[in-house]
Amino acid sequence: MTHCGRVHQLEALVAGEVPEGLAYELRSHAEHCARCRHELKWLETERQLARRRAGRDEVEHLWREALPERRGLKPMTRGLLGLAAVLLLVLNVGRVAVWAHGDGALGTTTDDEWSLQSFDVMSRFEPPTGDAACSRLQPGLAGFHCGSVPASFIASR
Amino acid sequence: MLRLLQRLEPITPDTPDDALVRRAQKGESAAFKALFERHVVAVRRFARDLLRDAQAADDATQETFTRAHVQLPKLTEAHRVKPWLLGIARNVAFEARRLHVHDELDDDAGVPDAVLPAPNPEAVLLDAELERQFADALTHLSPTRRAALLMRIDHGLSYDDIAAAFGWSIPTVKNEIHRARLALRVRLAPHLGAL
Repeated sequence: MTHCGRVHQLEALVAGEVPEGLAYELRSHAEHCARCRHELKWLETERQLARRRAGRDEVEHLWREALPERRGLKPMTRGLLGLAAVLLLVLNVGRVAVWAHGDGALGTTTDDEWSLQSFDVMSRFEPPTGDAACSRLQPGLAGFHCGSVPASFIASR
Repeated sequence: MLRLLQRLEPITPDTPDDALVRRAQKGESAAFKALFERHVVAVRRFARDLLRDAQAADDATQETFTRAHVQLPKLTEAHRVKPWLLGIARNVAFEARRLHVHDELDDDAGVPDAVLPAPNPEAVLLDAELERQFADALTHLSPTRRAALLMRIDHGLSYDDIAAAFGWSIPTVKNEIHRARLALRVRLAPHLGAL
């Protein structure tokens, strides 16, 4: 098989890098040139084999662990932070509600102090008698405290 | 205002790479995700071909896109994003295997410049076993040569792009790919003889 100067152009032909006119010329040449025909078959075989491997990978799972989550917060972290924010909000609403019906002094308190302040708030209403005590409380506070504090205790204050 | 309108422009499969790169460079995460979706299959396959391990390829792919995201502002030739990504993937894979770019360049043993029987490209399409043989033959190439060959025949990179990715001259790229092809053909020829 003699060496043909066009063999090296065939690689560009198979890669789709030659203009249409030259592509036609090269293919026509290869039909009559044993060396080029041989090379062209190999190049096309390689390309076919390479193409058959393409597009079979499963890669969807890679994005979930890729950049956006890596740079931001993970879903579980976001959930925990959200829960913490809701808890803080609930606590602060309760605290403001207590403050709004109290003397307005909303200093730093411990858990124990919170309960004492609650009783102080309750005592302001001076309910007259035992079982009717809760009915005398302001509507918003009645449900909040009467469930845990006996009406008789309130009455005794 | 023009920038805002550009960012509101929907991303479609026809949106060119360079437009996606420019939008991603301006901080549009959807554009970067589109680049990821467009190139992740090729990057992952390339990494797997170099590392020969699925889990390692997954890790290398993620690392490739992590680095790409960090280095994206430095990418000036936005239309060459695929060669750029494969170049990063090659670096990541070589680091993972503790190889260097110029390792194993001299594996010419057993690569005769001989005339081999011609295969039949149409028959190749019907032969599943040959695909396995092809994958096996690739593993016998040095990582560097394998990377260069696959960049060309699998991922369609130009010699210019491969030369840029490897820091080689174009004649070196052509020589390496030529030798890789010969080695590949020597291994495939026995399986193609009956075709």
